[in-house]
Amino acid sequence: MKKKSQSAKQKNNGKKKTILTRAELVRVHRKDTLFSIAVFTVTTIGCFFFNRMASDPTLNIAMLYTLGVFIIARYTEGYLYGVLFAVTSVLSVNFFFTYPFRNFNFSLEGYQVTFLGMLLIGIVTSVMSTSMKEQQRQLADQEKALMEAQKEKMRVNLLRAVSHDLRTPLTGIIGSSTSYLEMGDKLSEPEKRELVEAIENDANWLLNMVENLLSITRIDNETAKVTKSLEAVDEVASAAVIRFRKRFPNAVVRVKVPDELVMVMMDAMLIQQVILNILQNAQLHAKSTKPLELTIDEDEDYVYFHIRDYGVGIDETRIATIFDGDSYHETTGETDGYKGMGIGLSICKTIITAHDGTIIAKNHSEGVEFCFSLPKEKEDEKDVSEDISTDY
Amino acid sequence: MYQKISVLIIEDEKSICDFIGKTLDSHEYKVTAANNGKDGLALITSSLPDLVLLDLGLPDMDGMDIIRKTREWSSLPIIVISARTQEKEKVQALDAGADDYITKPFGTFELLARIRTAIRHNNKLSDDSQNANRPYAADGLTIDFERRLVTLNGKEIHLTRVEYKIVSLLAKNSGKVMTYDTLIDQVWGPYADDNNRILRVNMANIRRKIEENPGEPKYIFTELGVGYRMLEDGN
Repeated sequence: MKKKSQSAKQKNNGKKKTILTRAELVRVHRKDTLFSIAVFTVTTIGCFFFNRMASDPTLNIAMLYTLGVFIIARYTEGYLYGVLFAVTSVLSVNFFFTYPFRNFNFSLEGYQVTFLGMLLIGIVTSVMSTSMKEQQRQLADQEKALMEAQKEKMRVNLLRAVSHDLRTPLTGIIGSSTSYLEMGDKLSEPEKRELVEAIENDANWLLNMVENLLSITRIDNETAKVTKSLEAVDEVASAAVIRFRKRFPNAVVRVKVPDELVMVMMDAMLIQQVILNILQNAQLHAKSTKPLELTIDEDEDYVYFHIRDYGVGIDETRIATIFDGDSYHETTGETDGYKGMGIGLSICKTIITAHDGTIIAKNHSEGVEFCFSLPKEKEDEKDVSEDISTDY
Repeated sequence: MYQKISVLIIEDEKSICDFIGKTLDSHEYKVTAANNGKDGLALITSSLPDLVLLDLGLPDMDGMDIIRKTREWSSLPIIVISARTQEKEKVQALDAGADDYITKPFGTFELLARIRTAIRHNNKLSDDSQNANRPYAADGLTIDFERRLVTLNGKEIHLTRVEYKIVSLLAKNSGKVMTYDTLIDQVWGPYADDNNRILRVNMANIRRKIEENPGEPKYIFTELGVGYRMLEDGN
């Protein structure tokens, strides 16, 4: 499997290179040639400068050309320019800076050694920096491929989980309605009622699921951001609670909002969905002994929404991954048939992340608290107090 | 003889049409149904229903056009049936002249309440003005429009001029949704800022005066992205 993907990648790389050989390559070579000539010119001018100024010019000149080789090797493609530069610099040292000036003299003592040395330095640095560059590129490619794979895995996981989760209630609905239709005369009134209630329950669950999935489509695919507008937090909270009560008419939620009006930038429909998901999660799983609590408070930079239950709590081993959506598979054994909450919570995380906020779950001695935050954005609009002043 | 109220349903999904039809039938409404926009428009002009339930997503024409065409000559109540996430669509429909909307999926209770409210408001419009100025009373909150007096459980509530304006507008249209823009237009005039922040600020103050817990309002409900709806008049 691994091998396969590697060879596929190599193929891919090969493809990239063949694409490069056309217009791209010409462009790259032209750039590199110009660059090398520029570096060479600058280095040589520098050497002339040293030749005049320094007491022992040869050492400085050699250093300068070596530096040139390094730069060329680092910033051009392949070995070619580095090696060419090394050869040219050895020649130019011979031509410009050794006796006889402005002329070549290959019979100079020790010259062959210098020549070979420079050439070796040129080649080695070129090879080294090229392989370094290659490694870096490979690493970046690998990282990118890994991210893609992870994204793909998430997508597949979600799809699998969703299909599974959709099928479960649908099976219930079809089963209940079929038994009602086929054995309607043999069933007692309470039994019939039970069947219809089961249908209603499953349908509600399906609806919630679909609305969660739809809500994701409001998040921009490319930027993973949402369209925000300024909303009053108490209005969003109460709207979520009203929707929650529609599904659980007997549930009690204690809502506490700040005394002052708090407004924050958000997509209200999405935040409503987050609150609703967490409330429903608590209602279905927590077996809370006291009413649920929804509390909103704030500090300088953030507004915090706390949703607290007084139920059985969450297993500590699960709490870290509860928003990942993966936890759904491991918990199939112990939950009560409503397995989709893993998806509900991972959608919460997606939504809050798109708002640049954070979401956490923590166990208390009794029950669980979910807390998510939304950043207050500084805006240059008129101050609230100014608005109030028009209200006489 | 007692005349049944007639309701026209324009909806292309047969199952939804059936469910609404059965519900309304069992509550003494006379129901006709059209499953596309063309038939629907024809039925509105020919049978003059007392109320129209309109799905915006019709196969042959935009539901918005049906609202506009009907509003050219009639003020009969139109209730739009719309999906949850499309707040913009709801606001557009209300701006085009729809009286109210109901979000899919809805229960029978909600549907019947919306229909009752829409018909009551339509009757009020055609009534004499004396009746229109009848005080509002619901669940301990009363508003006397002539004396400009708001009381909660018998105790007087002091509202600022703007706050009273907002509350009385909502109360006069109780049970019906009022969009942010409508409220701003009517309270601050057509040249007011588009920004509905000032409305939110006033609403927050109102809630802190009349609601026991502003986080769990009893009287004025928020319809996210659309506007506000006040508890229906108990009279």
